[in-house]
Amino acid sequence: MVIAQCKNLIKIYNGTQDFRALDEVSLSIKQGEFISVMGPSGCGKSTLLNILGLLDEPSGGEYLLNTHPTSQLSDAGRTELRRHHIGFIFQSFNLMPRLSVLENIALPMRYTDMPRAEILPRARELAKRVGLENKLNSTPLQLSGGQCQRTACARALANRPSFILADEPTGNLDSRASADILRLLQELNQNGMTIIMVTHDSKIAAGTHRTIHMKDGKII
Amino acid sequence: MRLPDLVTIGWTEIWAHKMRSFLSFFAIAIGIATFFYTLSVLSQRYRQLDRSAALSGTGRIDTLTQHPLNLKQYNDLQFRFPANTSLSFITNIHYLYGSWTRLYYHNQELAGAAVVGIMPTWKDSSFVYKLEGRFINWKDIENKHRVALITVFTNEKNTRNLWDHTTDERPVTKLRDFTNHHHLLNQPIVLNNETFTVIGLLHVPSQLDDARFYMDKEETPTIYIPYTTWYDLFASDDGRGETSIRVITGNESSARTAAKSLTSYLRSQFGPNEKPDIEFFYNKLQKRLKEARKSLNNMLFMGIIAMIAGGIGIMNVTMAVIFSRTREIGIRRALGASRKDILFQFVVEAMLLGLCGAVAGMILGYLAVLHLAENINQMTFSWWVIVCSVVIALFTSFIFALYPAWQAAKLRPVEALKHE
Repeated sequence: MVIAQCKNLIKIYNGTQDFRALDEVSLSIKQGEFISVMGPSGCGKSTLLNILGLLDEPSGGEYLLNTHPTSQLSDAGRTELRRHHIGFIFQSFNLMPRLSVLENIALPMRYTDMPRAEILPRARELAKRVGLENKLNSTPLQLSGGQCQRTACARALANRPSFILADEPTGNLDSRASADILRLLQELNQNGMTIIMVTHDSKIAAGTHRTIHMKDGKII
Repeated sequence: MRLPDLVTIGWTEIWAHKMRSFLSFFAIAIGIATFFYTLSVLSQRYRQLDRSAALSGTGRIDTLTQHPLNLKQYNDLQFRFPANTSLSFITNIHYLYGSWTRLYYHNQELAGAAVVGIMPTWKDSSFVYKLEGRFINWKDIENKHRVALITVFTNEKNTRNLWDHTTDERPVTKLRDFTNHHHLLNQPIVLNNETFTVIGLLHVPSQLDDARFYMDKEETPTIYIPYTTWYDLFASDDGRGETSIRVITGNESSARTAAKSLTSYLRSQFGPNEKPDIEFFYNKLQKRLKEARKSLNNMLFMGIIAMIAGGIGIMNVTMAVIFSRTREIGIRRALGASRKDILFQFVVEAMLLGLCGAVAGMILGYLAVLHLAENINQMTFSWWVIVCSVVIALFTSFIFALYPAWQAAKLRPVEALKHE
């Protein structure tokens, strides 16, 4: 089943000289896939990920999320879809420094109408799933990079998304922690989670089902 | 996001930046202190007005005429009014300071008192005293008995302000102090060489209970003697015979009728040029309140200025906070926060600052009331003043935080996420 589909996506950044970051990109993502996106800096990987994550809008083409077109959606509509269908993992973790591991994992659920009493038990369960059950009350500053990224993985799973977008999740980690996170992502994938991951590391990309190579805004 | 979560976020941020938060709510605190002070004083004035009106009734008139009136005239007048009308003649006040009149108790000279002639009906209006002994009766009036009532300030608390150090060093004992230590009931006093018997003590209630203090601040102890006796003894001293006629009718419209009939009677007695000075008690109350409100308006204006300054402070700090937390906004948006969630997050945070300002301001205001307001013993703090202060602070911070919070909500998630 195709859960996300891009049709001739175009993204143009307007400036003194217009820059075509995405040039008629078409892509289908099936449920359960683990896709890596590779390519040199400025090739449009992050732009593609932002559009897939509904953080940015394409200048042309159409992006279908679960067969629903998204180009005509309002900001509120996009937020609603993003909240329930997409989980994010960032290179720099992007955890809230003042919140504990548990609260960081719970954060996306706070933006839904999930009953309050269910939020923390679910966050605890997710923490256990990524192996952080002993760090629940630590703040990100007290964690290693690998542990931070595990927290971010658990947070991405919070609202049971359709897929996870990971933007260089191992970019800030040493090789051991990188392998560790890759293992975790593979494990999540084996349990049915669809993952699209941008990476520079071909060893990491080798651990995925399919690798998409991009150059100058196109898939090659 | 639910309100308790928003409050938690806001409070965490405020606590993490204590100094910044303190500075930004300080101006709000000054404004709220001013509001709290002003509203407290104003509410007290209103309460006093209510109680004064309840005590005297709204249908009371006080009329001053330059002529002495006798008992026959009293009966004539009483006949002109409806049966349930209370009529009372009161002489003007004869102060014992600086006059040749002297007051003695067993050869000890007492000073600092006033002597007023009254009638038994005097008791019908503003009578707040606790009477010990008996009151003046009609027999005392008819026979010009040498009897006296004395006000005693036994319940009083210290009414002085902190810096009020004026002391009255008089060569003679003041009656006010004297009555605190000597029980004068049934004792003889010598007034203007005549021996009077003290038939009653009028215990003055503490200021807190006494609505009358709003109208006539009574601090001088007074010796009340029968109206007719007063005229015998003191009228010639003052060279004229002013009489105050007090009529209590029950309501405002009957008071107006009574005023007309009183004027026509006085003209029939003293000629068509007689112009009695009629004061409607209710108007007097309203006038006092208006004066109080006018002086408090200036304070209120200062408060509004301070609140605007405080609001700008809140706006400024919210803008700075949003700039420094742009990335956080991006992250929250990526995790599913809507524009509304972001807007509310910053508005709630600013309102929490406002709430801190309100609490600090009310403490300042409370201190101001304790140390600046007159008649501190009369001050009580109403819940609605507290509610008003909080609402004003919350409203101000809400209004001033709206624009920066809206700017934050408008940020595009992808750009906010790139912010370093």
